[in-house]
Amino acid sequence: MASRDVVQYKSPLVVAFKIFSVIFLTVYLIWTLLPIFVMFVSSFKDLLEAFNIPEVGDWAGVTVFFDFTPTLKHYHSLFYDNNFGEYMANSLIAAGGSAVIAVTFGSMAAYSLSRVEFRGKGDLFFWIISTRMAPVVAVMVPLYAIFRSFDLIGTLPGLILAYTTFNLPFAIWILKGFFDNVPYSIEEAQMVDGATRFQAFMSILPLVAPGIAAFIVLCILFAWNDFLFAAIIGSGGAKTLPVATRELVQPQNIQWGAIMAAGVVTTLPMMLLGLVIRKYLVTGMTMGAVKE
Amino acid sequence: MTSGVTNVSVAQVPPGTSLFRARGTSSDIEARPITAVLPLPVRLNSAAPRRYYLYLMAPAIAVLAFISLYPFVWLIVMSLQDVGVGAGEWVGLKNYTRLFNDVRFLEGWVLLAQYSAMCLALQLSIGLLLAVIVNGARWEKFLVTALLMPMMMAPAVAGLVWLFLYNGTFGWYHWLFQSLGWLDSGSILSSTDTAMLAIVLVDVWQWTPLITLIALAGLKRVPQDQLEANMVDGASPLRNFFAITLPNLYPVLLIAIMLRFMDNFRFIDAALVLTGGGPADSTKILPIYLFEVAFKFFKLGRGAAIALTLLVVTIILGKLLVRIFEKPKSERV
Amino acid sequence: MARISINKVWKYYGTSPAVRELNLECDDGSFVSILGPSGCGKSSTMRMIAGLEHISAGDILFDGQRINDLPPKDRDVAMVFENYALYPHKSVFDNIANPLRLRGFAADKIKERVTSATKLLEIDHLLNRRPSELSGGQKQRVAIGRAIVREPKLFLFDEPIAHLDAKLRAHMRGEIKHLQRSLGTTMIYVTHDQLEALSMADMIAVMHDGELQQWGTPSEIFNRPVNAWVAGFVGEPAMNFLSAELRSEGGNTVLTHPNFNIPLLPQQVALVNGSAKREVRMGVRPDALSISTTRPDGPVIEGRIYVTELLGGDMLVDVQLADARIRVKTSTDFTGVADDACYMTVNRDKWHLFDIEDGHAYF
Repeated sequence: MASRDVVQYKSPLVVAFKIFSVIFLTVYLIWTLLPIFVMFVSSFKDLLEAFNIPEVGDWAGVTVFFDFTPTLKHYHSLFYDNNFGEYMANSLIAAGGSAVIAVTFGSMAAYSLSRVEFRGKGDLFFWIISTRMAPVVAVMVPLYAIFRSFDLIGTLPGLILAYTTFNLPFAIWILKGFFDNVPYSIEEAQMVDGATRFQAFMSILPLVAPGIAAFIVLCILFAWNDFLFAAIIGSGGAKTLPVATRELVQPQNIQWGAIMAAGVVTTLPMMLLGLVIRKYLVTGMTMGAVKE
Repeated sequence: MTSGVTNVSVAQVPPGTSLFRARGTSSDIEARPITAVLPLPVRLNSAAPRRYYLYLMAPAIAVLAFISLYPFVWLIVMSLQDVGVGAGEWVGLKNYTRLFNDVRFLEGWVLLAQYSAMCLALQLSIGLLLAVIVNGARWEKFLVTALLMPMMMAPAVAGLVWLFLYNGTFGWYHWLFQSLGWLDSGSILSSTDTAMLAIVLVDVWQWTPLITLIALAGLKRVPQDQLEANMVDGASPLRNFFAITLPNLYPVLLIAIMLRFMDNFRFIDAALVLTGGGPADSTKILPIYLFEVAFKFFKLGRGAAIALTLLVVTIILGKLLVRIFEKPKSERV
Repeated sequence: MARISINKVWKYYGTSPAVRELNLECDDGSFVSILGPSGCGKSSTMRMIAGLEHISAGDILFDGQRINDLPPKDRDVAMVFENYALYPHKSVFDNIANPLRLRGFAADKIKERVTSATKLLEIDHLLNRRPSELSGGQKQRVAIGRAIVREPKLFLFDEPIAHLDAKLRAHMRGEIKHLQRSLGTTMIYVTHDQLEALSMADMIAVMHDGELQQWGTPSEIFNRPVNAWVAGFVGEPAMNFLSAELRSEGGNTVLTHPNFNIPLLPQQVALVNGSAKREVRMGVRPDALSISTTRPDGPVIEGRIYVTELLGGDMLVDVQLADARIRVKTSTDFTGVADDACYMTVNRDKWHLFDIEDGHAYF
């Protein structure tokens, strides 16, 4: 077949738009990458170096930004003076735990929702998805009261369960879309060949496995980046990275170097994971409404 | 033939009756009796068992019931009580009636609407423009990857990084704004005029890429043959964009709008870190106010009432969203 | 109306050529079909003519004027797409009126033209419908309507009826041909269906692997294919090919095969340049063979019936030879059944010999 890009013919408008595009894109890229860049670089700066900025209006002075001796002392202090190793483990357990629960239970539920029709299915489905869409603070009010009575506040199981409030509906919703795309005839063939229902279900899992793997990662991403649940439900015993980072901001003494280093520690793994599941990112972030 | 006879054999029927419709004239061509009345089966067999699906669904439903349905009932109960740190006592609808006189509650809605509208307008226009520029560009893959980086950052961390950049003495963006003459000596976060803009900018920074990604996915599915047909028909590129591309993009953009709208209700991490609602309540959008009432002052009963109003609005929005989801993605000829 | 010249045109995608040095001259008002299997470069050629694809090398001229750098809107061509490419959010009327609107025609003029076009296509009762409410055949008519209202210089039809069912396709073949005749506009019609090309076109360009194989009238393409590839591609059921040997035998040049020994006609001997003993490929269409269960006089091909297929008015007989199987088209009176011995005579005016190496036709 022929290639699918439309040829463009030069006209003044097209040329003008091309020039505008390049400028706009450059400015936007700088604005979008600068905060991340500043975070990375500042995490290697000594305190006073990080505070060096030029005079107002001194455009040539921007070079002071690069005027520093790199140091790893902030990273060192995170893990030796603060317990960032522990917080990282908390983040990992809470995010990973809820992701595993969400995807395990979610794939089973999604499969049956995809394969069977019953009255009230639409309502059940809406209930599931509205759980995911509810404002976090609003969900947290009753959840806090309930978890308090179960002594789940400040514990990792409590936090895992809290994250499951948004990860499980998410998993059901997305994975149902996956199972909908697997033709039922595959299971029928399996069953005719002598498989039980459950074996038939297991037999189509490999077909959706790449998607399931990607959505475990997405669930981890959502949970890892959460701040509110961790701040309230996890407060005390289950401090995660975003909360620990936030706590470095103290009224009298803001440890910027450490905050930037903590930011890097929190962000870097997720950026890498995001690149790994790049293909599923749009589907995941739009709850399956848009596919790339 | 009268009813009651369901099976008619060829031999029973005299030739020439209308019961037969032969598919041909030759006598050895298959002929089938057409039964006039088919009696209904006397008894239906029991339905195919579907318990299997129920078992598969049960764990998820059970977990969800505990963390979603049960809390929802609790929320309603709590909103009728005065609950603090200890046990609650019934107060009837007092938590609700108080809301009408609560200036910060009403103000919170207004600010939330303003905040969402500003975020959406900026994200949508910039995001769409970016998508059009990036689509089909030589470095498209690389560009998109660079663009989506902010989305991977924890919103609370993003808030902290921007807090650093906005800082009135050593923040690089503060320096930039001042050098450009947009700002006087005070930090952008310390003035009631600019604080809202500051948190909007952070949201725009973090989530515009999502709109770009969605629009880009939509652009890829604009039927190429329609664009080409319109070109052959005589349309200029600009005209082609408005006549073909935009109408085809409309459904995905609608989804993007709804998603961002709801996320503005859902996430307050960055705003909480940046301003915490200040200065002078100028950025106290409703979820932040709710956070304060419930988890700073531990007025859980009142918080529940506020949360319920927020939930109702979200559910209505959600219902709209689901309706859009369930529509066919786009009509294709 | 225009005369289209394609001069040494190449199309590259990356480094792989999709069209190699194509030369075509389409006369004013003629119906030209570009025929070939998918991936042969026919669509690329059409898209280059339309201006949807960059021309990598060479020139395309309309009436002697080079149009390489003109955008589609300035080429005055109209195109019908394989998937019709109707605008789903517009009514039939607006779909057809689109090219006129884009060219700034007055409203009453648009109405007049659309009305006459839809009358011609018998879709004037559908004007207010949306494309999604139309059947395949109706959509296809709307797409044609959009092309003809413009009264362009050139029609480009890209497999316009490939998605219709067989019956409708046969009907539309006649309609499109009639339409082109009555409008008198030059038409380039891309198809992979040899039947469409043979039945509709004045001239056919057969393409394969980006190269023009043969340029000729339908009867030339069918009766005098220039090589084995064209011979095999055109015709349904397809031509039978057999490997055989040319030999001199008692003054005659004879084609020998384990199943037969048939001398060439005198005028054909002259065409095979020399009677040196060598291998060739013999090609014969199923209807150039006649079959019988009794041995007739003269040279015959002996075989055994493999299977017979009744096709309504005709019968196809597959015959097993020593090293191959061939098909024969015969009448339904043929009484042979599987495993019977059978004898076939070749209409030697209608057989072909091809070079074993490069496949070019001797005759």
